[in-house]
Amino acid sequence: MPIAIVDHDQTPSTRSFIRNLSATQQVKVVMQLNNQAEARKEMQKGNIYAFVEVKHGFTADAIANRRPTIVFYVNDTYLIAGSLLYKDISYMSALASASMQQKVLRAKGVNESQIMGIIQPIISDTHLIGNPWANYGVYLITLLLPGVLQLMVLLMTIFPIGVELKEKTSREWLRTANKSMAAALIGKLLPYTVIFILLGIISNILLYGFMHYPTQAGIGGMFLATIIYILAYQAIGILIIGTLPVLRDSVAMAALYGLFAFTFAGFTFPIEQMPYPVQIFSEIFPIRHYFRIYVNQALHGTSISYSYAYYLIMLAFTLLPALVFYRLKKAAIYMNYPTK
Amino acid sequence: MKKIYLKTRFRHTLTLSIKESFSIFMQECKTVCTDKGVIIIFLIASFMYPILYCSIYKNEVLVDVPVAVVDQSHSKRSAALLRQIDASRDVKITYHCTSLQEARKVFNTRKVHGVIFIPSDFDSKIVAGQQATLAIYCDMSSFLYYKALLTSTSYIILDNSKQIKTERLNAQGITGEAAKMVADPIPYDDIILYNSSMGFASFLMPALLIIFIHQTLFFGIGMLAGTAREENRFHVLVSSKIHRMGIYRIIWGKSLCYFVLYFALSFYTLGLIPRIYNLPHIGNPVDIVYLLIPFLFATIFFSMTFSTFFRNRETGMVLFLFFSLILIFLSGISWPLKNIHGFWRAFGWMFPSTQGIQAYVKINSMGATIREVSFEYISLWIQTGVYFLTTTLTYYWQIKKNKIRFRIRQIKGHKRVLTINNPTKQSDNTADYKSES
Repeated sequence: MPIAIVDHDQTPSTRSFIRNLSATQQVKVVMQLNNQAEARKEMQKGNIYAFVEVKHGFTADAIANRRPTIVFYVNDTYLIAGSLLYKDISYMSALASASMQQKVLRAKGVNESQIMGIIQPIISDTHLIGNPWANYGVYLITLLLPGVLQLMVLLMTIFPIGVELKEKTSREWLRTANKSMAAALIGKLLPYTVIFILLGIISNILLYGFMHYPTQAGIGGMFLATIIYILAYQAIGILIIGTLPVLRDSVAMAALYGLFAFTFAGFTFPIEQMPYPVQIFSEIFPIRHYFRIYVNQALHGTSISYSYAYYLIMLAFTLLPALVFYRLKKAAIYMNYPTK
Repeated sequence: MKKIYLKTRFRHTLTLSIKESFSIFMQECKTVCTDKGVIIIFLIASFMYPILYCSIYKNEVLVDVPVAVVDQSHSKRSAALLRQIDASRDVKITYHCTSLQEARKVFNTRKVHGVIFIPSDFDSKIVAGQQATLAIYCDMSSFLYYKALLTSTSYIILDNSKQIKTERLNAQGITGEAAKMVADPIPYDDIILYNSSMGFASFLMPALLIIFIHQTLFFGIGMLAGTAREENRFHVLVSSKIHRMGIYRIIWGKSLCYFVLYFALSFYTLGLIPRIYNLPHIGNPVDIVYLLIPFLFATIFFSMTFSTFFRNRETGMVLFLFFSLILIFLSGISWPLKNIHGFWRAFGWMFPSTQGIQAYVKINSMGATIREVSFEYISLWIQTGVYFLTTTLTYYWQIKKNKIRFRIRQIKGHKRVLTINNPTKQSDNTADYKSES
């Protein structure tokens, strides 16, 4: 990520500090600027996400033990970029401090074995479970694919049924199914189910097979979750078109509901930290349960018994069409709803 | 003589075109106001979405993320360290476990989002002047857990280290100011700019506000176009009654209607909402208005271009709803634009939302002026121009197609008249077409 340096000192040691900074994982020094005002301008233009200011006389002060300060400015308007840069720059600054300490302690004649103990008495050893590289792609794509999938499933369940009602062909549709609503629904939706399950499985294989995204507990659990996930969203689609048998209204409803799914997956901002009513509300989104399974199975690699409950809740969504079965049938026969 | 004639003629066409544009403008306003679906998208969605999302993300930062600790050192020092961690804003210790296995079990039930492990030799190593290690396990299911756990622990570890350092230096005979100098020879100052509380809503909401404007416009215009097709005779986008007024007058008249509506709405979305919900709003409102003009026009023409492909009222939404999300990621707000692959960056550049979000965030959250966002500003004007051209082209194409279709029908009609020789049908047909043409 691009950062800038405002180096008022320009000595070999500050240059080596800049080189070290560039060598860290996230930081890339792209420009050297003359003053803070310039750096701020560049930040506002979005060319850099942070800058480090080294004061004049930095090296001289460091040698003379006058404790010069390194100042760094991080732009947290871009939260993720900001946090990652913050981590790397503060690490490098601490390291610069450490190398200085080492020099001083050696000069004072402190025993070499004790030096590290003085410089860094406590080390923290951080383990990032499931995503040890803090890879952003893992967050982004594992959220994006199921999220987009559920929108498509919802709309492609509502649209084929709603279009029959809108075009006033629903009676004919029912007739071809021998006047059985269940047969008509299954016949209508089964092709979509097959297509979406195939798509879901392919995207799973793509993510966990080809791109080697973490799946600690095997891919099977994710396949199962995807299949139930698609069924659950088809059921919700039927529920929506059954409650509002007007294509326009149910599409709008599905849009509202479907877009919230991304928020309620809990991947961006954790659900437990949201206001309490919102937490309860989040439970009516299958994606919430899908992501619980994903975290358990793929990230944490726990045994499937931890996720049974979530599979069952998602399955329970598939019972929802029963609530609107007769309403939808009536709408299909009498066609008594506005079409526009 | 000729000059005067041209002048009056020019003036006549000018007044006529303004008059006609205005009449299309009024007509479009009427259509918007009488269509319930469009009202829902343009007004209700625009009003409700910002409120809903702002209340969902009301808690800007994570507070008291539950963690489990395994303290095998059982020392005064480890207990003090844990107490400090517990007292920090980000983290709360909810489980004390005896072994890592036990902690893992708690972790797997997701009752905690991190584990802090202090090994049995922690205290003895510190006493012996060696480096003591402690392990932190983070739940990576959300980036924010990781951030919360890491910030609070690293800060407290650093704080404790300083004390121990001073003790050890004292033991080496380095005391007082000298010890302080050795302990921390190059202190660093971190200054967080623009979003100093590192809030989540302050980071995401400004981008979402722009997306709301962009997407409601897109779907609303798509719905209007789809409806027009459904209702007009012969399912055409631009009915012949209007298209004789000239293509530019249609486009100007319509786009002006959307522009006026959204210009007013933006005062609520971009002006009022950030102030009510305390989102960042340090930008100069004048600059935001400057930005808004090309952004709205680019979005309107972009939507009008695409709307010509929608055959039904609902098609636009069904096909492109998922795009709302992709636009957020393409905008470079979550992952820096400079680090997005070149292809995706170029793809994202084509959407007014990308430029709109970047420029709005820079002005509104970072206090930039139009000069700093000149790239986005110029891009938006280029988009306005390009999408205006594409809109004219697609409208022209639509009208031409309809004319051809219309002529074919006319010929067919004549044929029928000739072959069947049905006088009643004939008069019906011709009357129909006459009224149309």
